[in-house]
Amino acid sequence: MTGGTRARGGTAPSVVAMTAIRATNLHKEYRRRGRTTVAVDDVSLHVEVGEIVGLLGRNGAGKSTTVDLVSGLRAADDGTVRVLGHDPRVDRAKVRGVLGVQLQQPRLHDALTVRELVRLHRSFYPTGRDPDELVEAMGLADRRDTRFEKLSGGQMQRVSIAVALVGNPRVVILDELTTGLDPEARRGMLDLVRGLREDGTTVLLVSHHMDEVEKLCDRAIVLDAGRVIADNTPAGLVTDASLPADAGLEEAYLTLTGAAR
Amino acid sequence: MTDTLIPQLPEVRPGARAWLAMTVAEAKMVARDTGGLVIPLGMPLLILVMNGIAFDTDEVIPGTGGRTAFDLYVLPMTLTLVIATVGVINMPSFVAGYRRTGILRRLGVTPASPAMVLVAQAAVGIVQIALGIAIALTLALTTFDANPPAHLWAALGVLCLAVASMYAVGMLVAAVAPTPQSALALGLIAFFAMAAVGGMFGPRENLPDVLAEVGGVLPFGAAVDALGAAWAGQAVPGQTLVGMATATVAAGAGAALWFRWE
Repeated sequence: MTGGTRARGGTAPSVVAMTAIRATNLHKEYRRRGRTTVAVDDVSLHVEVGEIVGLLGRNGAGKSTTVDLVSGLRAADDGTVRVLGHDPRVDRAKVRGVLGVQLQQPRLHDALTVRELVRLHRSFYPTGRDPDELVEAMGLADRRDTRFEKLSGGQMQRVSIAVALVGNPRVVILDELTTGLDPEARRGMLDLVRGLREDGTTVLLVSHHMDEVEKLCDRAIVLDAGRVIADNTPAGLVTDASLPADAGLEEAYLTLTGAAR
Repeated sequence: MTDTLIPQLPEVRPGARAWLAMTVAEAKMVARDTGGLVIPLGMPLLILVMNGIAFDTDEVIPGTGGRTAFDLYVLPMTLTLVIATVGVINMPSFVAGYRRTGILRRLGVTPASPAMVLVAQAAVGIVQIALGIAIALTLALTTFDANPPAHLWAALGVLCLAVASMYAVGMLVAAVAPTPQSALALGLIAFFAMAAVGGMFGPRENLPDVLAEVGGVLPFGAAVDALGAAWAGQAVPGQTLVGMATATVAAGAGAALWFRWE
C-alpha cells in the first residue's frame, strides 16, 4: 500500500461491468417553506466504461441534483443509482475509492496552499497520482505555495479538478469543468479530459459549453425541467432536433430545449 | 446474470496517514487564523496577569495546604477560560464555517468522511487547550509564585471532564448555528452566560441563589469549583462532576440529533 488509506475486500475486479454509471427512474424533490420543487423527475441514464458523456441543460434543469444523486451526496426519493455496479450510498467505502467528483463550486480549506490541499486529498486514497506532478499538469506550479483563498476563480477551479483526479479514479464526474477558466487553461482542461479517455477513465461531463461537449463527448444527455429529453451522440442530437446535418450541437440543444427562436 | 457483472471493488477507508494529514491540515488552518489562535491563548493570559497583579498572591487560605486565593480561584478560572474559549467560541465557528463553505460536502465525495474534520478539529483544539494551559501554568508558577494542585490526578481528571463538557456545548452550538457568524454569536452568548453565572465577573455568592446554584453545575462554574477543590487537596464536589457529565451527555446528544453536514 502506498498511500495513507486502507483498502480492503479485494484487489482487482473479477469481472468488469460494462456500465460505469447507471441511474434508473431517479426522482428528487426539495421542500422548503411549504413549497415543493421537483428537481429530478424519472431520470434514467447510463454511462458505459470508458465513455465520455455530456450532461446538458439550462440552469435549474436538474444537472447538479443528478450529480449529487449519482455521487451519493444526496439520497433519491425514488429510483436507483449504481456506480460500477454499487450503490454509492450503501457501498460508500467502495464507490468513493473509484469515483472522483469535481463539484460545481470549488470548496476546499481556504487557508491551505495548493500543494497542501492536493497532498491532503491524495492521502485519502491507497494509490493515486503524484500531487506535485498533478499540480504542475494543472498549470499551477507557480501557485503551489499560494493559499486557496488567494487564488483566482479559474485557479480554484483547477485545484478542485486536481483533488478530484488525485486518487486516479476510474469514474470521474466533472461539473462545469471549464467555468471561469481562461482560453489557455480551458484548452489544457480539454486535453486533460482527452488524456482521461486514453487512460480508459469514464467521464460524466456537466457543461454549458456545447463546443467542448461536441469535441469530447461520445454522447450527450439533455435535461430539461428535471427530465431527460434527449440522449444521443452529438450528431444524433442534431438529427433528433430535425436539423440539417451541418447544424451544430448548440443549435440542436436550443431546438430540443425549446430555447431556439 | 447481472450479478456476475458487478466488479469487486476494494473498500477504501482513511488510514493512519490520512488521519494524520487531516489533523495537520486542521492545525495549519487554526494556526493561520490569527484571531482564532490568539484569543483563546491571549485572553485567559491577560485575565491571569491582571488578576495576578490585583490579587494578594501571598495570602494563604487556611485549610488548603498552603494554597492562596490566586491558586484556588484565579488559576482554575484561567484554565477554564482557555477550555471554554476554544471549545465554545472557537471550534463552533470553524465547524459552521466548514459547513457554510461546503468543505464538509466536498469531503463527502471522497473516502474521507466529513466526520474526520470534526475529529481532527477536536484533536487540534485539545492541543491548543493543552498549550494554553501549559503557558498559563508556567506563567502562574514562575511569575506569581502559584502552587501546583494538591491532587494532581484529580485536577487532570477535572480538566478532561471540563474539555468534554465544553466541547459538547460547542458542538451543540455548531449543530444549531446556520452560519459561522451565528455560531460565533451563539458561542459568545453561551460562553458569557456560563461564565457570568459561573463566577467570572465576581463571586457567585453575590448572585441570586438560583443563579448561583445553576452556575455551579453548568460547565464553567463546575469546572472552576472542581479545579479549586483539586488545587486545595479537598474532595471534588460531586455536583460539579455530575453537572459537567450531564452537560456532556445532554449537549452531545443534542448535537448528534441536530447536526447537519450541509
